[in-house]
Amino acid sequence: MEGKKTAEAGESGGLKLHHLGHEVTVPPGTRIVSQGESPEFFYVVQSGRVRVFRETRDRIRTELTELGPGSYFGEVALVTGQPRTASVEAAEECSLIKVSKEEFDRLLDQNPQLARHIIQQLANWLVAGDRRLETETVHQVKLRQISWFDYALIIGLSIVFALVFNLYNDNQIPLIYGRGVKSDVPKISLNQALEYYQNKNALFVDARKSNFFDQRHIKDALDLPDVFFDLQYPMFQFMLTQMGVAKEKPLIVYGGNTSRRIDVNLARLLMEKGHDKVMVLGGNYEGWERALPVTEKKGKAAGAMPLGLGGIMEWVPVSIFLLLLIPPVRRSPYLSVGCRLLLGVIFIDFALSKIMRPAVFALNVVDYGMMPSWGVNLWSLVLPWGELIAGLFLVLGIRTRAAATMIGMMNIIFIIGLVNAIFLGLPINCGCVGEVGEPVTWWKVLKNMGMLFTAIQIFLYDRLFVLDRGGFVWRERPI
Amino acid sequence: MKQGFIKWVVVLGLVAGCLALWGCGESRAPFAGNYRSEEPFADKGHIELLLKENGEATWKLEQDVRELKFKWKVEAGRLFFYTREGAVMIAIPTEGGRKLTMDMSGNWNPSCPVNQCVTFIRVSGEG
Repeated sequence: MEGKKTAEAGESGGLKLHHLGHEVTVPPGTRIVSQGESPEFFYVVQSGRVRVFRETRDRIRTELTELGPGSYFGEVALVTGQPRTASVEAAEECSLIKVSKEEFDRLLDQNPQLARHIIQQLANWLVAGDRRLETETVHQVKLRQISWFDYALIIGLSIVFALVFNLYNDNQIPLIYGRGVKSDVPKISLNQALEYYQNKNALFVDARKSNFFDQRHIKDALDLPDVFFDLQYPMFQFMLTQMGVAKEKPLIVYGGNTSRRIDVNLARLLMEKGHDKVMVLGGNYEGWERALPVTEKKGKAAGAMPLGLGGIMEWVPVSIFLLLLIPPVRRSPYLSVGCRLLLGVIFIDFALSKIMRPAVFALNVVDYGMMPSWGVNLWSLVLPWGELIAGLFLVLGIRTRAAATMIGMMNIIFIIGLVNAIFLGLPINCGCVGEVGEPVTWWKVLKNMGMLFTAIQIFLYDRLFVLDRGGFVWRERPI
Repeated sequence: MKQGFIKWVVVLGLVAGCLALWGCGESRAPFAGNYRSEEPFADKGHIELLLKENGEATWKLEQDVRELKFKWKVEAGRLFFYTREGAVMIAIPTEGGRKLTMDMSGNWNPSCPVNQCVTFIRVSGEG
């Protein structure tokens, strides 16, 4: 339907035409103007609503605005002579007045008030556009911001929570194990120990846990793990009696490692029980394996308890890794949100059991034998809180890039620990969740690799559903 | 300022909530009570094991004056015993909780190793 109209600017900013252009009716969904095409017409909306949007080459659409009755569009391209800057589509059935370029130019020449009004509208539009651009840019920049403060915040909170919680925890542990305790236990060299062994003048006592003892120990040695001393000493005494070993017979204790002098500790406990001649094997921690006859039982894997839901969830990042190979998916901020929730829940779940019983986790750290003894308890107290805080930050969308970095770093540390344990053949479980844990295998390394890549994806592409730095963003907003 | 405050209240609330949820665990009531080892231990008589509902446990050999203290909890139908040093022992209840089979190795084994297994029989409810 078409008709002649003429035009004038309405007081409300709308535009009324009289005896100018043609009236057209368009059904909903019709593309009226396409971005990039040469301008030929100017349009005024008489009834209905139209949607103005821009679209990139890879079809990413940015909604700019919606126009209703009295609004007009298409003037920018006609004034500048440039291709259309946006597309317009009918949101519902519309009645439009379609004005040709010649008519539009004549209209402006004859009507300075209308020309001024259009210039004013364009200027307002530009200013508003600049403001939106600035707001969005600032928001995006803030989201991408990362500072040392973020790391200091996570580490600081972890340390403070760890120390305060340890003060009030029933299962508290000293910050530094064995600090201030002087070693009053005599040492014996490997050569002297060999002499004792050959002459059967001493009994060797292994201070390590039974899984280590079962794997490899000095031939004819007895196992008395220092952590079970109170429970197992009666049985130890019973065995000495059965073997006809007098209490005066020298005991040579071994089995310490870099992370804990369990040999010295056991020797001290034995001395407290009245054993006078207790010595600790000196030299390298593993020196006994080469210097003395050894009994080995290879191929026995460490007992390990399944991690339940957490263990299953750990496989999801491995599958996400496959998604990361697809470039458009890899960059998706929605994938980042999923990764954040997943990693966050896994780390919160694993952190909680360790927080409640730090001594159990400390023994798991000791098993790896990589941490210096002064650092074991500090690490066992602070690391689980770091996992919890970083996990919560990821779930809630707080400082997510820093939280993802921290979790990624933890994964790297775990991977190093696991690979080291695999190469050394340590009979341990991963110690991931307090008292339970999965076997240390390459599968476990793969799971940690999956989590590491997930953390990297978050670091690079996360920008939605965040709780700080510009507010909660539900979706990618148009600029 | 207000938004920042709310954010931190949410974080602290979640931390407290998580810890509270984790701390609750499964009820200890069905397993609380007095137990006695089926066999004498290390030629020093039977072991008397008392499990209190508050999570404390005591272990005493008949011919020993000392009492050892533990913490214990129930998870996934198993009883976990914690020594002060951080060692963990796992006991599996059988016969409806009348018997406890305790793995003294300190490792998790699918079944209790014969030479490191102590079986306790329930003597009475919580003492």
